[in-house]
Amino acid sequence: MTTNHKIFFLVFMLVTAVVTGCKKDYGNLNSPTEEDFLKNPTKDQLNNLVTGVESAMRNNIGLYLDDVGVIGREMYRFSTGDPRYTTDLLGASDAHLDPTGFYLTNTWASRYRVVKNCNLLINASAISTFVSDAEAKGYAGFAKTMMAYQLLLNLNLTYNNGIRTEVANPDQPGPIENYDEALASIATLLDEANGDLSGAQVAFPLTSGFAGFNDAGGLSKVNRGIAARVAIYREQWQQALDALQASFFDLNGDFSTGVYHVFGTGSGDQLNPAFFPRNQAGDVRLAHPSYADDIENGDDRSSKAALRSEPQSYQGLSSNHDVWVYTTSTAPVPLVRNEELILIYAEANIQLENLSEGEDALNVIRNAHNLADYSGAGTKPALLTEMLNQRRFSLFDEGHRWVDVRRYGLLADLPVDRPDDDVWEQFPVPATEQ
Amino acid sequence: MGMEIMFLNQNNPKTNKMRFLLTVFKGCIVLLLPVLSFAQNRTVTGVVSGSGNVPLSGATITVQNSPIAAIADVNGRFSISVPQDATLVISYLGYKTQTLQANPGEMTIQLEEDAGRLDEVVVTGLATSVKRRNLTNAVVTINAQQFNGISRAQTFDGALNGKVPGAYINSNNGAPGGGSSVKLRGVTSIYGNTQPLYVIDGVFLNNSATSSGINTVTLAQPGVRSSNQDNASNRIADLRPEDIETIEILKGASASAIYGSKAAAGVILITTKRGAQGKTVVSFSQDLGFVKARKLLGVRKFTAESAASLSQDPMQSERLRQQFLDAEAAGKIYDYEKEMYGNTGFTTNSVISVSGGNDKTSLFFSAGNREEEGIIKKTGYANKSIRLNLDHRINDNIKLSFSSNYIYSSADRGLTGNDNAGVTYGIAMSSTPGFAELHPDENGVYPRNNFANSNFLETRDKVINNELVNRFITGMNLDAYLLRSRRSYTKLVARAGFDFYNLKTDAQFPSFLQFQAVNKGTSIQGFTKNLNTNYILALVNNFQPSDKLSLTTSGGITQETGNFDNLLNVATQVIIGQSNVDQAGALTATQFRTKNQDNGIFIQEEAMLMDAISINAGIRFDRSSNNGDPSKFYAYPKAGVAWNLTRSGVLGDDIFQNLKLRLAYGQAGNFPAYGSKFTSLNVSNIEGLPGSVVSTQRGQAGIKPEKQTEIEGGFDFSILDGKLNFDFTIYSKKVFDFLILNSSPASTGFATQWLNAGDLRNRGIEIGLQAIPYSGKDIKWNTSVNFWMNRSKVTKLTVPPIQLGALAGVLIGTFQIEEGKSATQIIGLTDEPGFMPPIKVWGDQEPKFQMSSFNEVTYKNKLSLRLLLHWKKGGYNANLTNLQSDFGMTSPDWDADANANHIPDGLDRIMKIGSSAVTSIVNSGYFRVREIGLYYTIDNVPVNFIKGISIGASLNNFITITDYPSYDPEVSNFGAGFSSGIDAIPYPASKRAAVHLNVTF
Repeated sequence: MTTNHKIFFLVFMLVTAVVTGCKKDYGNLNSPTEEDFLKNPTKDQLNNLVTGVESAMRNNIGLYLDDVGVIGREMYRFSTGDPRYTTDLLGASDAHLDPTGFYLTNTWASRYRVVKNCNLLINASAISTFVSDAEAKGYAGFAKTMMAYQLLLNLNLTYNNGIRTEVANPDQPGPIENYDEALASIATLLDEANGDLSGAQVAFPLTSGFAGFNDAGGLSKVNRGIAARVAIYREQWQQALDALQASFFDLNGDFSTGVYHVFGTGSGDQLNPAFFPRNQAGDVRLAHPSYADDIENGDDRSSKAALRSEPQSYQGLSSNHDVWVYTTSTAPVPLVRNEELILIYAEANIQLENLSEGEDALNVIRNAHNLADYSGAGTKPALLTEMLNQRRFSLFDEGHRWVDVRRYGLLADLPVDRPDDDVWEQFPVPATEQ
Repeated sequence: MGMEIMFLNQNNPKTNKMRFLLTVFKGCIVLLLPVLSFAQNRTVTGVVSGSGNVPLSGATITVQNSPIAAIADVNGRFSISVPQDATLVISYLGYKTQTLQANPGEMTIQLEEDAGRLDEVVVTGLATSVKRRNLTNAVVTINAQQFNGISRAQTFDGALNGKVPGAYINSNNGAPGGGSSVKLRGVTSIYGNTQPLYVIDGVFLNNSATSSGINTVTLAQPGVRSSNQDNASNRIADLRPEDIETIEILKGASASAIYGSKAAAGVILITTKRGAQGKTVVSFSQDLGFVKARKLLGVRKFTAESAASLSQDPMQSERLRQQFLDAEAAGKIYDYEKEMYGNTGFTTNSVISVSGGNDKTSLFFSAGNREEEGIIKKTGYANKSIRLNLDHRINDNIKLSFSSNYIYSSADRGLTGNDNAGVTYGIAMSSTPGFAELHPDENGVYPRNNFANSNFLETRDKVINNELVNRFITGMNLDAYLLRSRRSYTKLVARAGFDFYNLKTDAQFPSFLQFQAVNKGTSIQGFTKNLNTNYILALVNNFQPSDKLSLTTSGGITQETGNFDNLLNVATQVIIGQSNVDQAGALTATQFRTKNQDNGIFIQEEAMLMDAISINAGIRFDRSSNNGDPSKFYAYPKAGVAWNLTRSGVLGDDIFQNLKLRLAYGQAGNFPAYGSKFTSLNVSNIEGLPGSVVSTQRGQAGIKPEKQTEIEGGFDFSILDGKLNFDFTIYSKKVFDFLILNSSPASTGFATQWLNAGDLRNRGIEIGLQAIPYSGKDIKWNTSVNFWMNRSKVTKLTVPPIQLGALAGVLIGTFQIEEGKSATQIIGLTDEPGFMPPIKVWGDQEPKFQMSSFNEVTYKNKLSLRLLLHWKKGGYNANLTNLQSDFGMTSPDWDADANANHIPDGLDRIMKIGSSAVTSIVNSGYFRVREIGLYYTIDNVPVNFIKGISIGASLNNFITITDYPSYDPEVSNFGAGFSSGIDAIPYPASKRAAVHLNVTF
């Protein structure tokens, strides 16, 4: 063998190794991909998306309650790690709400992430050959109802600055709709969902948070409960009452009947982020001092602001009550519950001048909380004030106060604790949307 | 030549298997058979000395064009077995290389000094090297003495700092076990890899930083289990500096193109010590020393009034006043900063090494043990390492080399850094006044801290946060001369290696801690297994048609693979005293894997004319499973030319010697991160039901690697007979299609999306001066001075400006990638008129320039003083650390009134937040006496089995002049990526002192 031959063989060996070494494509080793769900998904895959929706609705829900609660002067959120809860959210001196601030972008993105999952569920269930038409409608009805609810939470933040409601195509998201347009879109979505749910079959499991509502009829009642809330936001009082009649509204029923985000310690599960043990220092949620000051003597809702062993102060703010609504790390957070529906019933009736019906509904609330019947003036403005008052204490730390005082143009009446603080009307639209 | 054949055959249809196996078989025979006849060997002896007849211990004697080598002993003596008619090459660092015929008798060789180290051999290809004098690029080489011979840096990469012109090296913080960022020639990538490729003896190293998942507790980045703020150390820190012989740094694509798509951020080639023919030398060295905080910020001195003013609530205010008065009366006012960060840590480092060999086989063995305490109690670092490097000559033509290294490292990192739960030491301290009582009572029960979410004394004493690594790095190298004639040789170079490590992260937060009230005990156990492999098969042909022309052709194939598997278990409701994740009420596990295979083909031609003009050109083709299209090859060409005007006779050499002009061009790439082409669905469970939820990161199916082109030019010359050497380099490095994780409108469900979004460029200058300013009979002074600067600019951006690396956006200061602007600009709010929106550029992370100087003064070749000075002019950090104590009303100057507006300065600064980032975006320039070492060598030891003793003392980071207000201007809360220079309550930086003893037997 000549030396040239030797070199030839060596080189040949190397080249063969390269050419025969086939290319590698390892795929995604860590999780399924979106494409996997758009290739005739099985029922199990669709159910995973349903559970994903229910689970992800909890992401940043604690932050949302902080945002709405702090601006609505229901609570203080002290954090030694992040001062923006007490600067930006309260408008301390020159601080303003930042369109890139975590308090906005994190919760905003979490809601739209669920919307994305709902859209994927709608598309995936429509093309799956493993589910019947009725079952497909069940998936769609659930997805649209939850999507509407998520959109409503974001609209509560940005209010007149609006939100996008058409986001199915990530490359061409729809326009930012103003408050009225967005509310109308949400109402339409809820109606569509309700249409899907009639004659639908629910083929997917839901958690105990939907106990009693985990079939098509039950989901329809939840849908109408949310629709009633949207109706009063739109000041469509009769529609609110109509929606209530189709919902799980029960004037004499248990206030806690409703649907909830549930929490647990299982693998991949979450704890209630709005639960803070009592008497902590540093990172705390404190009831705004006005809560304890304003509540009537004997009202059992005073337990929602628990007296601390010693007060906490931070940046010129001070309170000696902990927020004590969620009393364990797995306490559920309501999406919508009967107590709110009764208050909606009262509000719609008062607005429709059925004053005594409205007052009776308020007394249902009052009596259940150890208070005597309402004894103030029976006029519409007085009853509306009482209605807002009952909403304040009944729905404390459930994300309503700020929205309610805004609806009635009463933001200026909220207490301002430091001379240069501001009461914000709305969040800006996140910078990434502009 | 060979390469033509290679390309002709590349498109061959698949050969059948039998034929292929036959070919392999024949190939193996070629490798194993002695190709050339054995020559008759004989032994040559001699002495190598430098100026003043000082013996040059460690000088290398090699036979030209062969793997035979020996090393001179303590007295400069050598003995080497050589073939007939052998030509010897004698080299020693800092001296000119001599080439001479081997003589039968005793040879006496005297080498001349060479300040510019022009005869040093520098690796320029995957299988080839040239002398420094013929380089077409500015390649930095750091020798063992500069690297580790002045003082002991905290980490391997930290020891490079101030020694590499063109580099921006920054420690993330002072935590034991390190964590550093090394950036060569400015911004390489924004979201991609910014760190150079490390290659040790041919093995591609993994330098990743794996998070321990403490984000679950600190919530530094809410909503995820692990984050880049978890203060992980990067794995290059495992290496032992003592084993290193030289480090070569290929700074940009023009030098590193042959490494293709892994080379965009530069390549750092590490060569470890090897044995050589000669007497066996056993050496033992021991360091003893201490570490202390480089600087403490101080604490606020409270009075009854200021204590009372901590609360607006009248009752609480009164209670605080009383608490202060009681504490004062009891003498219990504490300086908690000093108590936490004021520990003097003891350090010890022992290394034993054995080096020697005969004419066939040589070995280098070392074993080391290093233990260090941190400046915070209960933190520290341990590293144990064993290395065995073996070389064996099968015959005069074939040499096998084997390098192996086992490393054990363990770092107790403490709980520091950014945090949104108020639990890390610094954050909890920032709101805790000195009159609070946090010390345990007689039963060992720590009181609750009413001023923060954590009693940091308890956290320090009871929390575990450990990284434990077991690592094997093994490389094999085969050099086989296939053909050798008077005018030509052909060599096969085969190199393969692997880097395997197991990393265990262990973070434990017992249930009795103040901040574990909800989770009731957390144990985070992470298990990581990583395997990187690589091989290179190359053929090198050298052909010298005449004395005036030499041609070197090389070509071959490469493959690199990576396989990373991380399992992170987060257990909560942990039973007291237990750490196993099953001893818990709740357990959440996360697994993350990445896998890649990259293949490359390269060919390179180097020509040398009249030993004065060197020309090279090469190209590499790379594909990767991480690319959108895994089968597509991307090409990375390079070319360079250097013209030595004096050697070629264009200029006389009476004033200038070795005046050389050089120009080089090259391309390199940066692969996309694993998984960037997929839109994944994450798991999100509820009540035991498995849920899938679309990831907030949208994949990009067609993702491409980033591409970098670099052009570099310069000149070098020596004057005064090599006593002064000067080099000047200017470069322009352009990055095309840089990857960004673009913010999408969150309403699409995606927060981010990978995009090849723009172009940027870096331009810079590097100037070096090496001189021997004084060389007398007894005293010799060696010095080198380097100056370097870099400017970057984003030349194209297809998306709106992107903010990144922000702790709190423009409030504190954030990087903003913006077309037409420096890539590292830092913007923040301003209340100055004329800015709408009220945001301005406050500074730039890029220093204005850096300078460093290494000096060594020796007296009678026995006493040696070594000094490394480093000046970083300018450069800005976003600093939250000082503000954090303002927010907590504990900053030392809170009560001062520098601007005489009758408002405490602390309050002044807080009032600025929200309207101006003036207090948080700060100049981080410094002048640092980085390293000082004084060593004395005793070579005439009365005990005859001891050949030499060296003793020394050193200081590291002891003197720093800076206006920077926080702990240290070198800091990075976000680890080693693009966004360094974020200062968020770090583990404070340390200064180090040690004494050294080295005994040679």
